[in-house]
Order: sequence, then C-alpha cells, then structure tokens
Amino acid sequence: MMTYRFKFSKGEEIKFIGHLDIVQAFQRSIKRADLPIAYSNGFNPHQQIDFASPLSLGYVSEGEYGDLKLTQDLEPKEVMERLNAVLPDGMVIKELIRRRDGVKNTMASVSAGRYKAYLDSRITPKMVEENLENYFALKEIIVMKKTKKNFKETDIKPDIFQLINASEGESAIIEMVIAAGSTRNLKPESVAEGFYNFVGVEYNKFKIGFKRMDIYMVIDEKLVPLTYGVEF
Amino acid sequence: MKNAIPDEILLQVEKPARYVGREVNMVKKDPENVDIRFAFCFPDVYEVGMSHLGLQILYYFLNRREDTYCERVFSPWTDLEEKMRENNIPLFALESQEPLRKFDFVGFTLQYELCYTNLINMLDMSNIPVLSCDRTDDDPIIICGGSCAYNPEPLADFVDIFYLGEGEVLYDQILDMYKAHKKAGGSKAEFLESLLELDGLYMPKFYDVSYKENGEIESFKPNHPKARKTIKKVIVTDMDNVFYPEKQLVPLIEVVHDRVTLELFRGCIRGCRFCQAGFVYRPVREKTAPTLLEQAKNLVKCSGHEEISLISLSTSDFTCFPELANGLLDEFKDKLVNISLPSLRIDAFSIELMEKVQEVRKSSLTFAAEAGTQRLRNVVNKNLTEEVILDGCKLAFDGGWTKVKMYFMLGLPTETEEDLRGIGALTDKIVEKFFEIPKENRPKPVTVNASASCFVPKPFTPFQWDAQDTYESFGEKARIAKRSITRKQVRFTYHNTKMSSLEGVMARGDRRIGAVIYKAWENGCRYDGWTDKFNWEGWTNAFEETGVDPAFYANRVRSYDEILPWDHISVGVSRQFLINEREKALRAEVTPNCRQECSNCGAKTFGGGVCYDDIQV
Ligand code: SF4
Repeated sequence: MMTYRFKFSKGEEIKFIGHLDIVQAFQRSIKRADLPIAYSNGFNPHQQIDFASPLSLGYVSEGEYGDLKLTQDLEPKEVMERLNAVLPDGMVIKELIRRRDGVKNTMASVSAGRYKAYLDSRITPKMVEENLENYFALKEIIVMKKTKKNFKETDIKPDIFQLINASEGESAIIEMVIAAGSTRNLKPESVAEGFYNFVGVEYNKFKIGFKRMDIYMVIDEKLVPLTYGVEF
Repeated sequence: MKNAIPDEILLQVEKPARYVGREVNMVKKDPENVDIRFAFCFPDVYEVGMSHLGLQILYYFLNRREDTYCERVFSPWTDLEEKMRENNIPLFALESQEPLRKFDFVGFTLQYELCYTNLINMLDMSNIPVLSCDRTDDDPIIICGGSCAYNPEPLADFVDIFYLGEGEVLYDQILDMYKAHKKAGGSKAEFLESLLELDGLYMPKFYDVSYKENGEIESFKPNHPKARKTIKKVIVTDMDNVFYPEKQLVPLIEVVHDRVTLELFRGCIRGCRFCQAGFVYRPVREKTAPTLLEQAKNLVKCSGHEEISLISLSTSDFTCFPELANGLLDEFKDKLVNISLPSLRIDAFSIELMEKVQEVRKSSLTFAAEAGTQRLRNVVNKNLTEEVILDGCKLAFDGGWTKVKMYFMLGLPTETEEDLRGIGALTDKIVEKFFEIPKENRPKPVTVNASASCFVPKPFTPFQWDAQDTYESFGEKARIAKRSITRKQVRFTYHNTKMSSLEGVMARGDRRIGAVIYKAWENGCRYDGWTDKFNWEGWTNAFEETGVDPAFYANRVRSYDEILPWDHISVGVSRQFLINEREKALRAEVTPNCRQECSNCGAKTFGGGVCYDDIQV
C-alpha cells in the first residue's frame, strides 16, 4: 500500500464541472489508467481517494489537492503520467509525491487559500491601486453572508490575511489570501463584494472570474502548500 | 476554443456543463479541414440524449470518416433558451461551439413523439427556416431518423429527408454522394433528386397527398418519376461485422445512464401486439458472445465506467445469453464492474444470475405483465402467465428480494372492467406469495409498485387501426384499477393521461398535424414529454386555431381499406400479417414467437436474422 498526495489544476475547459462530478471524473480516470487503486472495505467499496477542498462552480484553479492510495508502490512519475494521459481536458496533475503515514488528510489540513479575482471592466487597475490598501485598512468589512436560511451581516475582515493588487495591463485583478477550512472559511466572492461596495460600484458576481492559486496548511505558524513536508 | 455562451450567462443557468462539451472521448477535428459538417441533434436535454445508444454509435460511425465532422447538439433547457434569445445567440454544436447554420447536415433522432416541438424550436434557435419550403441552398439539409421516422408525416413540412432504418447502412453512400455533388457545384434540389436512387430514404417533397371530404386520405402519390411508391427500411444483416464504436463518450456530469452499453441484438422475436419496436425492428439479428465480450472489455477500459448494461428488447431471448453472462462475470467480477440486466424474464436462471451480479437488496424485480387477466394478455400476445409471474416472485422472495415492479397498460383493445380489476387481483396475489415464505426469511417488508401506462396505438402494429381511449376514459380506468387493489403493500401510479392522448395524435398523424405542431410551438410548447413543462392548454389551443380535430387521429377506428399516412413506408412486415394479427387479437389467440415457429410476417425479405436460423447450409 502506498498513499500519494497530488496537486492538480482545473482549467477553463472544466470549470463548470462541480466538485462531486470532478471526484467522479477522477475515479473514472483512475480506472482508465488501470492503476491499482485501493478500495475501502465494506458493503459498497469505493476508491480510496479524497480531495482537499471543493472548488465553486465556475472557478479555475492552479492549486487543487488530493490523496490517493494504491495497493502497489509505483513510481510517482509513472502514476502521474498515467493519470495525465487519461484525465479530462483541463485537469492536469502538476505534482505527485509519496506521502508519509500519519499525515492528516488534505481536507483536515486546510487553513487558508490564495485566490485571484478578475474584476469586470467597470473597475480599472488604477481604482484597485488607489483603493485596495484603504479597503484592507478598514476596521471591519461588513458583507451579507448567506446562512442556511437567510442572509446575515458579517464582518469578514478577520478572515482576510493579505490583499495584493495583481492587475495586469487593462484588467483589474485582486489577489488575496483568506481563511479556508472547517473552522473558518471565507469565500473570495465576499472579499470582491466588499471591494465593490467600498469603491461604490454595483457588485455582480457573474461578471467576475475567480481562480484559486493555492491551498495552505499551517506548519510552525507559517502557511505552506499542502505538499510541504509530507513526502515519504 | 471559446464557449458559444459567455460565462456570465453560463453561471446563471442550471447545469452549465450541458453546454460546453469537452467530455472524455469527444472527437476533435478542425472544422476547416473537413468536407462535411454533420450536426447530430437530440431533441431533448443533454442528460437524456447522452444516454442514448444510437447517438453514441452514429457519432463515432460518422466521425470515423476523415472527411466528416459529426458534432452533437442537444435541446437547451428553457432557462438557457430564454437567455440565448434575449442575447441573440444562435444554437450551436458542442464540439466546435459553432452555430448550426454553417453545417451541411442537421440530423435529428426521433425517439418519441413528444419531442416534435423541440425539433422546431432547435431549428428556429439556429436561425434555420423551420419549413423546408422556406430553406435555400445556403441552409443545411435536415435529415431525421429514429423510431418515430417510421411515421414521418407529422414532420413532413419541416424535414428534407427521413432515413428509415439503421444508420450504418446508408450514411457512407449519402455522404459520398453529397461530397461529390458539392464539389461539382450542384444545388441542394439536385442532390435530393439524386438520392431518389437509394431505398430507405423518404423525401416528402416528392410526394403529394389529397384528402376526402370525411378527412381520410384520398391518394398519396409520387410527383417525381424516380420517387418510389413504397420506401423500404434498410437494415444491417451481419451484426458481428457491423461497426461498433471502440469508444464511448463519457459525460462529466451525471446523466440518465452512466454506464457502458452493450447492444446484444436488434429486433425482438416476441411480437407483442402493442409494441411498435417489436415490428419495426424485425427480424431479430444477434451478435455473438465473443464479439460482445471483446467490445465490453474495450469499452470498460476506455470509459472507466463501473457498470455495463446489456441492451436489447428482451435480453432473456438472446441465444448466447448464458455464455455471455458467464464470460462477463469472469472478466469483471474482480474489477468491481457491475452488470445490469434490464429486460430480463424472471426465471430460475435469471434469478441465479442476478444474485451473482448485483446487490440483492438494492434492485427490484420487474414484470411487464401489461394486462391484469390472461385473456387480455393473450389479446396483446404477451406470453407471460400468472403462474410464471408468481413462480418468479416466489424464487425472488426466497432469494431475498422484497421489491417488485409491475407494468400495466390501460385502454388496450377489448379491455373490460374485469381486466382492470385483474390488476388488483394479480398484485394482491404477489403480496400473498410473499407472506407464504417463513417470517424469519423476510429481510424487509414487501413493496409492489404497479405502474400503468396509457395505451397508444402505433403505426406498423396490429392495433394501428384501433381507437385510443380519451384521456377522460384513461382516468376513469385508472381509478377502477386502483380501487381493485386491496393490499396496502401495493402502490399504484399511472402515466399522465393527457400526454398519452397527445402522443396518440402525433403517432398516427398525417401531414396536417404539422400545422398543429408549429402552432403549439408558437404557443410556447416545449419539452412536451416532461410533466413539469407539459402545456396542455398550448396544445388544445393549437388544435382549435388550426381547426384540426385530435379525436380524428386518436380516437377513431380505421377500416382496413383506408389509406394510412404511413402506407408508403415498408418495415418489411406485411399489411396482411398485421391484419391477421389484429383478427387473432380480437379472438384472444396468441401467435408463436419467431423461434417457435415463423409466421411469415414478411421480414424474411431482408435476407438475414432469425428468419434463416433453422436453415442449415
Ligand atoms: S419472417 Fe418469420 S422469423 Fe422472420 S421475423 Fe417474421 S415471423 Fe419472425
């Protein structure tokens, strides 16, 4: 038995495929690659593969993570190549390593995420430059957050760790590091919404593109990628 | 490649993945580098169309030609339709995301009558003139196949070519001719004329129809010297060597059937008298077990699916069934691939097999009894006795099954109240059978789901001359059947009666129905087969506005000498055979199946299949 941790990207081609379908697509790819995947015991055996954190529909990503367990110890390079040969367009494994035992699974490790928000053309790079610092300097940032039943005013400021003006040419881009995981979790949409409110432009989430850049866990009080220090 | 629909819109509609393509095993070609562009349209939503075996076969069949790019098109769901119209986005094909207007052929597969308004809608959304007579040389050629094409008349105004039969037979020839014609700079009209050489293709514009005062057809005649009087379907005779895809499109979202489909044979030996498929696909032509095992291995490997489904009209009738089943079990039992067995007759062999292949607890047992009494089962030639049903249930209950599904039909010819009450009597007996097994052997309480559909007389069946019940009468009959059930373990449901009425009109409609379909579409009717979209008012208004009486088509008995709208088409089965079958039905006499004894239905003319099985060379 060998557990592997992998990092993959989710491109434009596949951004409208939701989390559960991505899991399904992975499972089928493993079958097509004919990898000796381990199955859980029990009545309804399923493949031993799990993922760090679901990505919202419509997002692209350069930093998705998962763990998978094989019944044989194959070379990571081989596993990665065989999977990449059969994964759907837009899904590419960029890194795959043997994982030590005793490491928490990806899902339990997640503490923060890095994202880019591609704002629509009503916001110029100059507006970002002029306002982002002041926006981040606010004592509290109140946005309406959806709860199970309705909307509630919430202060998202404590969950924002960093904001960067990442604009390129004509397009206004905000890069952010924000809380993620089971205890504290912030949606990048809320950060963008707060910024639109701050500069007084009506917010429309359908006009904004989002990309997850990476997912982090905390080791020695530092944020590190989920592949950091877990290699066998 | 850019999506035809901007992200901003895709993010606001249900299941945007329906519209962006790029599934596993999708064929990629450069549209600039092919001679022929073919849009394969399925006039229903993505999840339904992607589960259709015919689409999977034809997609790869056409794409195996280097000069042709076959792309898929599904009917956009109503939420997207609204946004596309609002933003002037024309309908597009998934592969290239390009508008349909650019294509040489736009083909539709017609699997059920209640998709006709979707076909109109898809043409309109493509900015292709809906009526054939309004289309020019710049517009694509509209071609339709599938089981509903056997009565093409309701769509005659909209479609250029109806393809009668199996796609593998003629498409190469059609496309070769088209390519040569296009190169030579010929017009569309000339191309259609040249197709008159081929059998199996019906082009409505080469035929004229006139009507009597009472509404019946007076004459139906070719208006072109080369147009055939009757057009005969074309079929494959050598099933082992016919093209079968080595790949299967694997959708990235959940569709109706997510599995490998293995086609065992075409046709059916049974001849149930209500079943159109049982007549139009004659004769039975089988594949052999080694071919199928090979195909199964291949498809599982290239799809990654965890389920194989054996597809046919009646799987138990497959002559190599034991060999195939055991072969599949050997191959896949350690690979965690499930084998699903629809259309199985319940007997000792199948029970044993099902115990081996599937989760006993999960599955339910299905019986298509169709009628509540033996007399009525004889009328429809359903060779299934109460004894067989009860024995099958006994075996299954002993094996741990607790769920039984029963299918019935309401409104079959000669049906009486006694037949309807027979539904309750039979389902009650099944429950009693369950209580015969010792209490300690009953893992769970038993449930019997009895579901009734409304009988729709179809062309090319012995009941093609018969009247259909009105929807009011279906409702009344459903109540009688329901009241006849006394056991609380039996749940009774029945199909939408108005939908069945509409299906009855479409199924046996003539050219005059085209105007009604068009009107209904104008009235906003779409997705007529979807209960939540079904717009009865839109349809009743359409009938009124066009002055067409639906009862003339659905609820009227025809005489044997009336010209039926589909009489110019031949599926191989003779009219005389159908008349004989109908007469036998009225006497509640059964007809042996093709393997017991050939009844000379006429399908021998195709020169293959079960009709020649006994002939030793
Ligand atoms: S000709 Fe005979 S064997 Fe052939 S399909 Fe008809 S009844 Fe069956």
